[in-house]
Amino acid sequence: MDWLKRTASLGLGVALAVVLLLSGWLAGGVAGDLAAEQRQREAVLLANAVSASLVGADEAAKAQRLAKWKAEQPGLESARLVVGREMQASTIAADEAPRALKREEKPLFDLANDLRAAAETNVGEGTTRKRTLRVEGSGRDSAMTVSVPLMVEGKVEGIVQARVRASGESASPGAGWALALALVAAGLVVGAFLRIKAERHFDVPRGIAVVLLLVGAVVFQQQQLRRMAEATATSDAAVAKLQAAAAATYARSGAPALAALPAEAGSPWDTDGYGRPRGLVDVDGRPLAKANLAAASHASFLKKSFWAIGALGLALLLFFVQGWAARTAQALKDHRVAYAYVAPAMIGMLVLVFFPFFYGIALAFTDTTLFNENLPFRERFIGLTNFFNILGDFDIVKTTAEGTVVNYQNFYWTLMVTVIWTVTNVTVGVTFGFLLALALNTEGFKGKTIYRVLLILPWAIPNYITALVWRGMFHPQFGVINQALQMFGFEPVRWFDGVVSSFMTGLVTNGWLSFPFMMVVILGALQSIPRDMYEAADVEGATRWQQFRSITLPLLRPTLVPAVVISVVWTFNMFNIIFLVSGGEPGGANEILVTKAYKIAFEQYQYAYAAAYSTVIFVILLVYGYFQTRVTRATESY
Amino acid sequence: MALGRPKNPLWLHAALISFTLLTIYPVLWVLALAFSGQQSVGLVDLPKDPSFLERLRGIVPWPAHLSAKNFIDVMTEQPFGRWLLNSVIVSGLTTLLGVFLACTAAYAFSRFRFPGRDQGMLAFLVSQMFPGTLMLIPLFIIIVKWLGLGNNFIGLVIVYATTAIPFCVWMLKGYFDTIPIDIEESARIDGASPQVIFFRIILPLAKPAIAITALFSFMTAWNEFILASVFMESEANYTAPVGLRFFVGGFSSQWGFFAAGSVIVSLPVVILFMYLQKYLVSGLTAGSVK
Repeated sequence: MDWLKRTASLGLGVALAVVLLLSGWLAGGVAGDLAAEQRQREAVLLANAVSASLVGADEAAKAQRLAKWKAEQPGLESARLVVGREMQASTIAADEAPRALKREEKPLFDLANDLRAAAETNVGEGTTRKRTLRVEGSGRDSAMTVSVPLMVEGKVEGIVQARVRASGESASPGAGWALALALVAAGLVVGAFLRIKAERHFDVPRGIAVVLLLVGAVVFQQQQLRRMAEATATSDAAVAKLQAAAAATYARSGAPALAALPAEAGSPWDTDGYGRPRGLVDVDGRPLAKANLAAASHASFLKKSFWAIGALGLALLLFFVQGWAARTAQALKDHRVAYAYVAPAMIGMLVLVFFPFFYGIALAFTDTTLFNENLPFRERFIGLTNFFNILGDFDIVKTTAEGTVVNYQNFYWTLMVTVIWTVTNVTVGVTFGFLLALALNTEGFKGKTIYRVLLILPWAIPNYITALVWRGMFHPQFGVINQALQMFGFEPVRWFDGVVSSFMTGLVTNGWLSFPFMMVVILGALQSIPRDMYEAADVEGATRWQQFRSITLPLLRPTLVPAVVISVVWTFNMFNIIFLVSGGEPGGANEILVTKAYKIAFEQYQYAYAAAYSTVIFVILLVYGYFQTRVTRATESY
Repeated sequence: MALGRPKNPLWLHAALISFTLLTIYPVLWVLALAFSGQQSVGLVDLPKDPSFLERLRGIVPWPAHLSAKNFIDVMTEQPFGRWLLNSVIVSGLTTLLGVFLACTAAYAFSRFRFPGRDQGMLAFLVSQMFPGTLMLIPLFIIIVKWLGLGNNFIGLVIVYATTAIPFCVWMLKGYFDTIPIDIEESARIDGASPQVIFFRIILPLAKPAIAITALFSFMTAWNEFILASVFMESEANYTAPVGLRFFVGGFSSQWGFFAAGSVIVSLPVVILFMYLQKYLVSGLTAGSVK
C-alpha cells in the first residue's frame, strides 16, 4: 500500500468522487424542482382555462363545459365550480351537483371567500399583493388540486377547483452517473502514474493532478448544466403543447372567443401564484422570446454551487497529495489509545454542541418557520434579511393621535430592558452581598455560621422553584406582598399590569437569589486579607474609612471583578426568572433578549427569526467577553 | 475593615436578624403552604374587611391547619410520583453517561500528548460561550424531528450529558494532573494494559473528583427546565420541574401541590448544595480569574 502514499491516485480518486457525487446530487435535486414546477404550471394553466371558459354561461352551460373539458383533457381528473354556498357544477358523479355545500365542506366555502377577498384586494389596490390561487399538493405528488377564482368583469363570482394529474411528459434528466463513474476510474488510473515527491512542496505531478481534477469537474458539471437547459426547454415545450390543446378545447366549449391580447403579453392562463401571466407562451401555444426566469434562477444557483463544490474538491485533493492525509492517518495510528479515550466525548460534543451551534447560525440566514421547514435548504435561504429586520427596525416609539406608544416587540427596546435588568440586578446583588459580607466578617461576631447558612439558602434552591414561589407571593389578589401592603393601609398593586411594577417583580426575585453568591465570594476574599495589615494601619492612626479604601477595596478587586463579570453573564441569560415570574408582561414589555428569542421560536414558530435573534445575542456576549478579558487582565496586573 | 472594636453591636444583630428573616420568608412561606393541606395561594381565608391583625395573620408563614394532606395527595392523586421517578431516571442516566464521557476524555487530555489535544480542550472551553437559546432550536430539530427522540428520556439524557461534559472534563483533568505519573509507569512496567491502568488504578484514585463531577451532572439534569418542557410533550413523561410548573403555570393554581412538590424536589438539592458549596465557589472563581 506504500505506492498509494507516493502517487496521486487516491487523492484524485477521492476528490473526483466527492465533487461528482455532490454535483450530481445537487443537479438531481434541482431537476426534481424543475419538473415539479412544470407540473404545477400545467395544473394552473388548465384550471385557469377552465375558469375562463365558464364566464357568461348559465348553470346548464357551465356543467356542459366542465364535462367537455373533462372529456378532452386527459390530465384533468375532475373539476368543480363553487359559487357562494352552492356547488353549481362538478364532473364527479358522487358530488350530485348542483346542490348546497354540506357542513363538512366548510373549508371549500372558506377557500372561496379567501380567494375572493384576495382578488378583490388586488383589484382594489391595483397591485398584486395577495395570492389569488391556491395549490394543494406539490409537483412531486401524482396529482394536485388547484383552485382559482372565476372572474366576471373584474368581480369574483366563485371558484373553480381542478384536480390535475401529472402528465407523463415531465422532463427528468438522468443523473449521468455513467460519465461520473468513468471519470473517477480515469482519475484513479491516471493518478497512479503521477509520482508525488514528499520532500518537495509542489511539483509538476501535483499540478497535473489539480488540472485533471478541474477538467473532470468541468466536464461533468457542464454536462449537468446542459441537461438542465434541455430539461427547461422540454418543460417549456410541454407547457406550450398543453396551452395549444387548452385553447382548442376552449374554442370548442362554446365559450365566447378570447379577447385579442397583445402578442407579447402571453397566455392569460399560464400564470404565477398571483394570477400574473408568465409571458412564456402566447394563447395559441407559440413560445415567446421572454426567458424563463424561474429556470434561470435555478441555473444560476447551480452554477454558484458548482464553484463551491469545485473548491471543496481542490482542498480535498491537496489534503491527499500534500501528504496531510497520510500524516493524519499516521497520527491516528500512533495515538490510537488517546483518540479512543477522547472519541466518545468528542463525538457527543460534535453532534450535540458544535453541530447545533453552526446549524443555528445557518438557520439564521433562512426564513424557516414551522410551516416550511421541510423545504430544501436552498429554497429557504434569504441571506441577511433577518438581521436587517432585527437590527434595522428603529420603530421604537410611535406617536399617534391618542398619545405615544412604545413598540415592545422592537429589538432595541428589549436590548434596553436587558441592559437595565443586568445592571440593576448586579448592583443589587453586589451591594447586598458586600454589606452582608462586611457584617459577617466582624471579628468575634457571634452566630456567624447560623447567619451564613440561612443567608445562603436562596442560592441552594433550584431557581425555577424560587421564581414560581415569588410569582405566588406577587399574586395580585391573594399574594402575601399585597396583603402586607394592605396591612399598612396601602392600595394593593396589580404587579404584572404595569411596566415598572412588573420589572420590579423580576428584580426582587433575582436580587433575592443572587446576593448569596456575592456574599460568599466576598466573605472568602475578606477572610484571606491578613489581619496585621489592619493592625499596622491602626498603629499609623488611619481611620476605618481610610483602611477600607486603601486596604480592603484594592485587595478585594481581584476577586470581585471576576465575580461581577460572571454574574453579568448569568443575569443577562437569566431565562427562568423572567419567563416564570412575570412572563415578560405586560404585553412583552419586560421580555429580555433570551426569553424573547424563546417566544419567537416556540410561541410564534419563527425558527429562523429566533435563530437570527440568538445569533445577535451571541455576538453581544462575544463583544462583552472580549472587553471583559481585557478588564480582567488589567486587574491581574494591578 | 478595622475589626474587633465594638464586638457584637446590638444594631448589627438586629439588622442581620431582620434581613435574615426577610431572606428566609419565601422558604417558610412554601413550607407553610406545603403543610397547609389546601390549594389556594393565600395561607388563610381572610374575611371581607380584614383588620390589621387578621391581615398580619394572613402573612405569618404558619398554616391555619397543620396537615400532611398535600404531600400525600401530590404523590397519590397527582402524577407527581411518576414525574419524580422520571427525573430520577433522567438524572441518574445523565450522571452515568456524563461521568463516563468526562472521565475518559479528561484522562486522555491529562495523560497523553496527541495532535489536536490543545485545540480540543480549547473547543470545550469555547463551547461554554454558546448561548442556550441559539442551541435550543437546532437541538429541538435534531432530537425531535430528525432522531425522533422527542417525548423520550434518551433524548434528554444525551443532551444533558453532553452539555455537562466541558465543565466535568476541565475539573477532572485538573484532578488527574495531580495524580503522580510514577504510579502508572510502574504499573506499565509490570505489564498492565492502558485499560487496566485506567479502570483499576486511576479511577479509584480519582474517586473524590468523580463524586463531585457526578453530583454536578446530577444537579444539571435535576434542575433543568427549558429543554425538558420543550422535548416532553405527554404529561406522563414530564420531569419534576416541568410538572411543578404544570401545577401553577397558565390558568391552573394548585399551589398546595406545587409547594409540597417543591419541598420534595428541593430537599436533596439543598442538602447537597450546603455540603458542596465550598468546592463550587473555589471552582467558579478560580476558573474565571485564570
